[in-house]
Amino acid sequence: MSAYSGELRKLTSLPSVWAAFAIGIAVPAVVGVLSAVSTSSAIANGSKPEAGPDLGYQELAFGVAGAIVLGVVAASSEYFTEGESAGSGRQITTSLTAVPSRTRFLLAKVAALTTAVVLMSAIATGITLSCVQAVVGDHAHALDGAAATRVPGVVLYWVLTALLAFGITLLTRNGVVPLAVLVLNTSVVTVTFLLSKVTPLAVYFPDLAGMRMFLTEVRVPVELSPLTGGVVMAVWVVLLLACGFTAFTRRDA
Amino acid sequence: MLTIDRLTKRRGSALILSDVTFQARPGRVTGFLGPNGAGKSSTLRILLGLDRPTSGTALVDGVPFERLPDPLRTVGAVLDGSGAHRARTGRAHLSWVAAAAGIPRRRVDEVLAEVDLTGAARKRVGSYSLGMGRRLGLAAALLGDPAALVLDEPVNGLDPEGIRWMRRFLRERAEAGHTVLLSSHLMGELAEVVDDVVIINGGRVVEQGTLAEVTGAHRTLEDAFFALTTGARGDAR
Repeated sequence: MSAYSGELRKLTSLPSVWAAFAIGIAVPAVVGVLSAVSTSSAIANGSKPEAGPDLGYQELAFGVAGAIVLGVVAASSEYFTEGESAGSGRQITTSLTAVPSRTRFLLAKVAALTTAVVLMSAIATGITLSCVQAVVGDHAHALDGAAATRVPGVVLYWVLTALLAFGITLLTRNGVVPLAVLVLNTSVVTVTFLLSKVTPLAVYFPDLAGMRMFLTEVRVPVELSPLTGGVVMAVWVVLLLACGFTAFTRRDA
Repeated sequence: MLTIDRLTKRRGSALILSDVTFQARPGRVTGFLGPNGAGKSSTLRILLGLDRPTSGTALVDGVPFERLPDPLRTVGAVLDGSGAHRARTGRAHLSWVAAAAGIPRRRVDEVLAEVDLTGAARKRVGSYSLGMGRRLGLAAALLGDPAALVLDEPVNGLDPEGIRWMRRFLRERAEAGHTVLLSSHLMGELAEVVDDVVIINGGRVVEQGTLAEVTGAHRTLEDAFFALTTGARGDAR
C-alpha cells in the first residue's frame, strides 16, 4: 500500500502529468464542441436529419493522447538522466532502494497509473458528452441509453491505452519514440487505420479493436463486437506488459 | 554489517568484478577506494539490488537488500547525482520517497534541515547545484534514520566547505554506532575520515585492512594507493 501511495505522489508532483491531464480533458471537449456546433447548424438548415451516433465519442478517441502521455511518462521519468553537470543520476535508483521488490514496484506503478487514467477519462468523458448534449440537444446520442455501456468502454480504452504505452516504454526506457509513434497514430496519421485498407487483419491492432467498445461507425473491413474488440485490445496489453515486466525484472536497473 | 562475499560480475565478455570480498562494520567508516572504472559503483549497485552479480553475494545484516523488510530504515544510499527527477521540487521528491517507504511526513522537514536545504525545498531539482543535489540525495538516504549508509563518491563535486561538512557528518554517523561505507577515487579528501580501507583495482580487491595497516610503510594513504594500483593495473583483463 505504501508503494502505491508513493507512486501516486510521484504522478501528482510531475508537471508533465498535469500537462497530460490538460490534454486529455481539453482536447476532446474543445473538438467535441466544434463538431457539435457544425452538426447542430447542419440539422438546423436541413442538410442532416440528426447527429451521428458517434458524435462526442469520436472526439474521446483523440483525447486518449492524454492517457498515452501519462503511460509513457510513468515509465520514462524513472530513467530520465539528470545531466552530467548534475551527476548523471536517475530516479530509478531511488525508487528501487525505497521499494526493492521489482514486482511490487511495478504493480504499484500500474495501480497508480490506472487510478490516474480512470480519473482523467471520467472527467474528460463527462465534460465532452455534456458539452455535446448541451449544444445539439435532443438530436444527440451522446447521453442516450447506450451511454451506460459506451462510457465504461471509453474509460477502459483509455486505461488499456495508457498501460500499453507504459509497457512499451518499460522496454525502450526512453519516452521519445513511444510517445511520438503512439500520439501521431491517434492524432495526425492513423497508421493502423490506413493499414486496414491494405489488410483486414489490421482491425486487430489494439487501437482499432479497442475503439469498438464505444464507437459504432468505424469504416474498417471486419466488424468486431464491443466485447471482442475489448478482449483483443486487452490481450495486446497483457502481452506487452508481460514483455515489459520481464525485461524490467531481469535487466540491471 | 555489510558483507560482500566473492562477488563476480561479467558484462558480455568484460570482467567487471572478480571475487570481491570485504565487510563494512558498525561504528566504522569503511573507505572503498579505487581509480575510476575499478568496479566501486558496480559493487555498490549489486549491494543495493540494482544490478545482479554473476556469482557471489552481497548481504545487509545477513539478508539480500531485496528481501529487507524495511529497506530505507536499514540502509540509506546515495549513488549518482541526486536520484531525483529534475522537474520535481526537492520537497516533492522526499515526500514520495517517504510515502513509498511508509515513513512519516514530518521526517521530510527534519532531513531537509539536517542537510541544510530547507530554503531550497520548494525549488525544482533541475535548478540545484551539484552540491545541493548531492545533499538532497543524502536527505532521502537519511529519511529512515538507517543503521547503515552507502555513499558512492560522496565528496565528488563538493566545494571545500561541503567536503568539510561531509567529513564531519560521516565521522558523527560512525561514532553514533552506524555503519558507513563510501567509495571514492579521491584519496587525500578521505584519509582523515576512514577507519578501514578496501582498495580495488581492475575489478579485484588488491589490499584491505585498517587505515594504519594499508598505509603501512608508505608516507600517506595516497602513496600506498598509487603503489598498489599502478602496479596491478589491467590484471583483471
